[in-house]
Amino acid sequence: MKRYRKWIALVPVAALVLAACGTDEEPADEPVEEVEETEEAEEEEEAVEEEEEAEEDEEAAPVRADADLVIWADDTRRDVVEPFAEQFGDEQGISVAVQEVPFDQIRENVVIQGPAGQGPDIFIGAHDWLGEMVESGVVAPLDLGGAADDFLEVATQAFAYDGTNYGLPYAIENIALIRNTELAPEPVETLDDMVEVGLAAVEAGDADLPVAWQQDPGDPFHNYWVVTGAGGYVFGQADDGSYLADDIGIDSEGGLRAAEIFGELYEQDVLNQDISYDIMIDTFSSGRAPFAVTGPWALGDFEGVDFEVEPLPAIDGNPAGPFVGVQGFMLSAFAENELAARTFVLDFMGTADAQLELYEAGNRPPALVDAFEQVQDDPAVAGFGAAGEDGRPMPAIPEMGSVWEAWTLAYTNIFSGADPEESFEEAANQIRELIGL
Amino acid sequence: MSKAPAARVSYADRLADRLGAGSVTGLLLKLLFLGVVNGLSLYAVLTLLPMREWTPLVVVVLATVAIDWVYLSSRRIPLKFLIPGTIALLIFQVYPVLYTGYIGLTNYGTGNVLNEQQAIDRIIADSITVPDDAIRYQSTPLVDDADELALLLTDPEGEIFLGTGDGLTTLEEGDIVGEGADRRILDTYRPLTLREVGDREAEVLAFAVPIDAEDVEELAVDTEADAISVQTFNTAAVAIQRLEHDAATGEIVDLVDGTVYTAIEGTFTAEDGSTLRPGFREFIGFSNFERVLTSPAIRGPFMRVFLWTFAFAVLSVITTFVLGLALALALNDPRLKLRRTTRSLLIIPYALPSFMTALIWRGLMNTSFGPINEVLGVDIPWLTSQAFAGALPKASVLLVNLWLGFGYMFLITTGALQAMPEEVKEAARVDGASGWQILRRITLPLLLVAVGPLLIASFAFNFNNFNTVFLLTGGGPPIQGTLTPAGHTDILISFSSRLAFAGGRGQDFGLAAAISTIIFFLVAIFSYIGFKRTKVLEEIN
Repeated sequence: MKRYRKWIALVPVAALVLAACGTDEEPADEPVEEVEETEEAEEEEEAVEEEEEAEEDEEAAPVRADADLVIWADDTRRDVVEPFAEQFGDEQGISVAVQEVPFDQIRENVVIQGPAGQGPDIFIGAHDWLGEMVESGVVAPLDLGGAADDFLEVATQAFAYDGTNYGLPYAIENIALIRNTELAPEPVETLDDMVEVGLAAVEAGDADLPVAWQQDPGDPFHNYWVVTGAGGYVFGQADDGSYLADDIGIDSEGGLRAAEIFGELYEQDVLNQDISYDIMIDTFSSGRAPFAVTGPWALGDFEGVDFEVEPLPAIDGNPAGPFVGVQGFMLSAFAENELAARTFVLDFMGTADAQLELYEAGNRPPALVDAFEQVQDDPAVAGFGAAGEDGRPMPAIPEMGSVWEAWTLAYTNIFSGADPEESFEEAANQIRELIGL
Repeated sequence: MSKAPAARVSYADRLADRLGAGSVTGLLLKLLFLGVVNGLSLYAVLTLLPMREWTPLVVVVLATVAIDWVYLSSRRIPLKFLIPGTIALLIFQVYPVLYTGYIGLTNYGTGNVLNEQQAIDRIIADSITVPDDAIRYQSTPLVDDADELALLLTDPEGEIFLGTGDGLTTLEEGDIVGEGADRRILDTYRPLTLREVGDREAEVLAFAVPIDAEDVEELAVDTEADAISVQTFNTAAVAIQRLEHDAATGEIVDLVDGTVYTAIEGTFTAEDGSTLRPGFREFIGFSNFERVLTSPAIRGPFMRVFLWTFAFAVLSVITTFVLGLALALALNDPRLKLRRTTRSLLIIPYALPSFMTALIWRGLMNTSFGPINEVLGVDIPWLTSQAFAGALPKASVLLVNLWLGFGYMFLITTGALQAMPEEVKEAARVDGASGWQILRRITLPLLLVAVGPLLIASFAFNFNNFNTVFLLTGGGPPIQGTLTPAGHTDILISFSSRLAFAGGRGQDFGLAAAISTIIFFLVAIFSYIGFKRTKVLEEIN
């Protein structure tokens, strides 16, 4: 009897246990987190974002939904992908879940959750994640077969890593020159023209900045077009377009010429390390700068200004090519349903319909040639497309991490009055040192 | 008549007593608490079980059993007080430190994320490729009445074949009856749905249709290719596997040129030094620590960064403490009006998330556009001046950290002052001590006994105050002429995050963990010395 009484104590315990187990039934595919998406807002902001996300991560990492085929997409693309996925699921008789995961969280969580068996089959992402993902073995190759020629060359080149293709591209993005048609009625051809028009506007009191060109404190991403125009490069490229980590071109002849140009721009008061993303946006959107050097992500803020999107001005008579970023669908190496995943990506996301819908949602030029040509009547898209024609895919190799770090500091040094060429040489040597570390 | 209820009460009390609770309410609360604990741990067990995470599983079970054992007893009173603290200490302090130390001994980082088996599977799978010039067939997976797999293949010219485990057969028009999913081929084969394929995916992916030498030549592909296999649900092509894992030796062998790759520190490496990717997580001993201590690239800026880190932490504690104490003393004077309101206002900087306020300060201190310079009508590079080893940005960081931190010091010193017996000061005053003497000889020593440990904690916190430095200056302005990127306001933790997360070949968690472990020991040593000193203080009193 005594024993029996003691066990009565366990009744409420059992009840609570059952209640606790009940939470298991929550729908797993509900939105992971409502985070305001600041997305492609560039490298230097990325550092801050990553920090923010690191904190969010402590709250919850996305966990694979309970379905045969699981796709991770950000809030912008999720709604586009979902109907296609549902159609595919219905046709094939499998269950499909499209989970919403903030863009930059997809990157780290595919690396962490994939090998743990909690990752997706398919995820959207940027091509420059490939270095980390391929080296770590969390992304699977995707053979585009004959379809490769249907996409823009820069897009397929971007998704090729060491000659193997790892994704189906859907959008490209790059920076361009945005010109305020009131302050600068005529297009500019060269960097010198741009500087001249800009400085004149400042002198006349019409503008606060000759060019709204973010640095804060130095921005290798937004400055790269000057480097390519001057004949420099960040990493050498093999014949197939893949980047070679042992050929650093920051201190090549063209690279040093670019350094000189940045020294001049600093002395002319065109550039300094105080121009942050916010200041760039504020100045141009309030009509206080004749030009802005930025990408499609900023256009939403420029609605009050009459502007044209144009190719970046030539440097020393050579066309200037910015970094081009490409977004696409990638397959997890730990997909539970590999065949279905491949079939869905190739048959459903490579169509003009899907690419156009993704374009409308995300406002980035489509990567499929057919769809790309259909949106050319949008002047902004055409402008960014033209600016990207001479662009180079942003290197995806993991060595880029040290480039961002060292090159940013080199620009900062130039904008502090240090010798430009020495600053670039120092950065190149630091990168060699870091890679060998 | 009155006996019955009395007996019932005593029964409940007896039960409560036996289960170690003082009253029935206490018993109920205890059961509720234990119920929640047990419920949560059962939930944890059910989550961990399918993931095969044995270590945390065992820990959870042991901890739960220990908690039940201790609290469901009327004895073991000391343990009841010790166990929550001990468990919290183990989970939140000891485990992270040990785990960080352990990661520091591995090569975990970009390229070494998977375990060995996952890495081998990936390497082999990646070595299977379709040659560029290979024919890609339209394909439908089939199954015959005996459940044997086959493929219905259509080449680019529209010719149709049946591919079975024995080889290719050309099909004529009449061989296929029906449409779509209802097709019957040669009366025995029917198409598989994607759902069925999903259920037997491994089998389908491994299925190969052998092709004879003649066909190989005709297909104009490499001679190693001898089979057509499934690429997607509806395409198939000749694919070549280049690498093979030898389970007996653990090596990976190149089938074309015979190169042998052996696993060295988590990477399959050939004799000539070429490697395969991905690598895998592996215990590599003290290599990371060795790199930190011997690499010239790290050692170069290390001493400067270390000295500034130390100075930053010490100065942050001193400045915040002095300002906080001064304000607390002033506001402790009863003659002051609106003391409560002022006190609440003063702790606002501390109450706001530093994440936000540090970024606001960064904007305020912007040289060309910052409100501070605009109001003053000057051009002071608060956060970017490289002159005098970045003295100005260093001062700015300290200033902002003072703003962020004095509220905390104000809070704790106010508390300590209010708890201080008024009589002691009264006695000193009677003995003719001046206000300054009372502060110097009575208030401060008493105060330091109370807040001494908190000052040490504040030192440890500021030693690793990544947020303030990273958000305010990003570690900049850069130090010119260093081997690896480093900034004048970089503290150890921000400098190492540059090295470990943004440098070299991607993220290097092993290196980061090694540096963290070293920082942990540094802070531990300083704190130990600090605690010794406060002990001395206590003994004086």
